Amino acid sequence: MPEIDNVALLKKTLTMILSGGQGERLYPLTKDRAKPAVPFGGIYRIIDFTLSNCLNSNLRRIYLLTQYKSSSLDLHLHLGWSILNNELGEYIYTIPPQKRLSDHWYRGTADAIFQNIYTLEQERPDRVLILSGDHIYKMDYSQMLRFHCEQEAELTVACVEVPLQQATQLGVMDIDANNRIVGFQEKPQNPPPMPGNPSQALASMGVYVFNTDSLVRTLVADARRDTAHDFGKNIIPALVEKGRVFAYNFKNGNRNPGSVYWRDIGLIDTYWAANMDLVDDTPEFNLHDKSWPVRTYQESYPPAHLHQGNGSVTRAIVSGGSRVTDATLDQCVLSYDVTVEPGAHITESILMEGVVVGKNARLHRVIVDKDVVIPEGCTIGLDPEADRRRFTVAPNGVSIIPKGLPVEG
Amino acid sequence: MKTLLIADDDKNLTILYEQELSDEGYRVEVVHDARQAIERVTTDPPDLLLLDIRMPGMDGIEALNQIIGRNNHVPVILNTAYSNYKDNFMTWPADAYVVKSSDLTELKNTIREVLERRASES
Repeated sequence: MPEIDNVALLKKTLTMILSGGQGERLYPLTKDRAKPAVPFGGIYRIIDFTLSNCLNSNLRRIYLLTQYKSSSLDLHLHLGWSILNNELGEYIYTIPPQKRLSDHWYRGTADAIFQNIYTLEQERPDRVLILSGDHIYKMDYSQMLRFHCEQEAELTVACVEVPLQQATQLGVMDIDANNRIVGFQEKPQNPPPMPGNPSQALASMGVYVFNTDSLVRTLVADARRDTAHDFGKNIIPALVEKGRVFAYNFKNGNRNPGSVYWRDIGLIDTYWAANMDLVDDTPEFNLHDKSWPVRTYQESYPPAHLHQGNGSVTRAIVSGGSRVTDATLDQCVLSYDVTVEPGAHITESILMEGVVVGKNARLHRVIVDKDVVIPEGCTIGLDPEADRRRFTVAPNGVSIIPKGLPVEG
Repeated sequence: MKTLLIADDDKNLTILYEQELSDEGYRVEVVHDARQAIERVTTDPPDLLLLDIRMPGMDGIEALNQIIGRNNHVPVILNTAYSNYKDNFMTWPADAYVVKSSDLTELKNTIREVLERRASES
């Protein structure tokens, strides 16, 4: 096994976070913001989880590759993440498309990195850690980097164990007894089961460690062909054919106590469900573990105020500045400065910053985006047909009220 | 007959290349700066571009990447007096990198190899 320099392992690794996806399937939450900037869990933005993983793993040379509607993300990073010291060679920078190569936008995940080869040339890292800006999980990347070096791999792909039927929607790998990837398919019809468990498959998390030379060689070869320029469809299969590519099981680097938790926030339904995971009796995703804190930007608000003469609050996250008076809340996530007036009844819902819910309103499975006022007596979520005429309703019945939308009673 | 486009600001060198490569059976065309090379490749792509790196105005590395952004199929050989750009990631999209020499054997062989490789891929 090669000797590993612990300092170089982290210092000579550059992190690139893909943050440019359009997030169409998360519309209308992405109407005015990039997917990584979508609020999550009351006080966070989705990007905070990946950035906190970097910080907690001691990776401090980070580029975010942005593209669509990035102003909200830029502002959040400026306010909450201007914490690293450039003089120590630590930074979080965003790079919008530079159009050095052509006039087009990024045509795929691999094209996003290819169009930033100039940055790799300037930095000359030994390894590049490529991450997505829209996943919820806690992971110690340093463990994966160590594994990558121990295996003398050119590419290591982090993977989660998922049921076979779920794997048809993901990138799936076939591995040998030494964790070497011998096959990789994007969204296969018949996913190969993982060794030793015929009901589960190993799915890619979109977390990759590349040796920089191997990354650049594969990217430039792909750029010269007419492909989808996608890591899952093109880059990983090409390297699996020619190089040393290994799978790293996420359960080894997971830092969420009690549960191997990873969610790709690609759909309204998964976004809603992941928020609900935070308000269970015993939350599957633990925000209270001080050994792996999740950082964010918090505006200065007074403490939340709950006045419950009538009504009840069970299983809820209530953020600063919020006021809940004589209302019933069950399985709710309330962001900053939310006002809930007497008699309101809210279940399985997410209320973002500045939302007001009027007296006796009833909300069930509703995502209310920023600054929406729900008028007195209004009902949403109990009549799917009526809701579909007024709002976007996700397949599992969650209604979304877009940011600032005037709602009639 | 395959068309080679040579982009090099050294006029004496391009005269030599024109003669030698015409003798090899290629149709040879010459431009003397990177912007002309980009325009020519965009409007009427040659079968292969031989591209110098150090030229006045835009250099060959920037031109290479702009050309690939516009037409990722045109084969490009970087041809420079300097070997130190070889490690620069920005030169890696080229099909080959040949250091200039008074003996053109390596250049001629590389042109042939690149054209054959491209023909076998398509």
